[in-house]
Amino acid sequence: MTNDDTKAFFGKGIEQHIDAMYSVALRLTRKGADAEDLVAEAVAKAWGSIHSLNDRARFRPWLFRILHNTFVSDYRKKSVRPTETSLDDNDEEDLAGLLNEQSDDFLVWWSNPERTFFNDLLGEQLLAAIDNLPEAFRTVVILVNVEGFTYDETAEVLGIAPGTVRSRMKRGRTLLQKALWKQRPTLEGNRHET
Amino acid sequence: MKHDIGCLQAIEAFYAYLDGELDNPESIEEFEHHLGHCRSCFSRIDMEKALNKRLRETAQKESPDDLRDRVSKLLAKF
Repeated sequence: MTNDDTKAFFGKGIEQHIDAMYSVALRLTRKGADAEDLVAEAVAKAWGSIHSLNDRARFRPWLFRILHNTFVSDYRKKSVRPTETSLDDNDEEDLAGLLNEQSDDFLVWWSNPERTFFNDLLGEQLLAAIDNLPEAFRTVVILVNVEGFTYDETAEVLGIAPGTVRSRMKRGRTLLQKALWKQRPTLEGNRHET
Repeated sequence: MKHDIGCLQAIEAFYAYLDGELDNPESIEEFEHHLGHCRSCFSRIDMEKALNKRLRETAQKESPDDLRDRVSKLLAKF
């Protein structure tokens, strides 16, 4: 494989994934300008370590691992936000109970004939709920639910076990539902005003 | 007659099922059998699918033109 072939392969891969890189970077940094810097820096780093990509079929997880590592090493340190509480991955703390109980409230609401919840939910409200998730859960929810990464790919990106991805998914989605549930009065208020 | 896994076991498998990560055909069959006669879990799956769709619609963004220009210039230097 010549250097030109490698460049062509790399350029095509970046073109294919740049929107997803930006979407993920935006949720990691929560700022458009920082997300752009993060993507550009990750692209430069990826090219610098293209020799470490042993299997070209694994380009996507390899690229996003570099993006995530760049965020962790460069951007998270600069964040002015207080350190987020890191929830223990093994802390199943009544997860099934939480999901069950909370979803029951949700379901009663969801089951109403109008079923307007997701229609009423504004994009900004949903993004705010995602952005307020602890980073470990936010990243997994974005990679899996938004960008369609498998649990194995997500594990590769984050350098964690697939089982941890699975437990973070459950917890992240439960926390997201909890956050959305708290917004219910606002949504219902908006609906009554219109 | 198929074995009913019950709601708690179904909840454990919920996201793995939705995310296409439940790869054992028997587990999928048991889960779907449970959905077939449990209104609560069926509604929950329905809700989760709608939330997934909304998540994708909201959080997938196109990269701005200035970022594309910047990356193109970067690639040209390599």
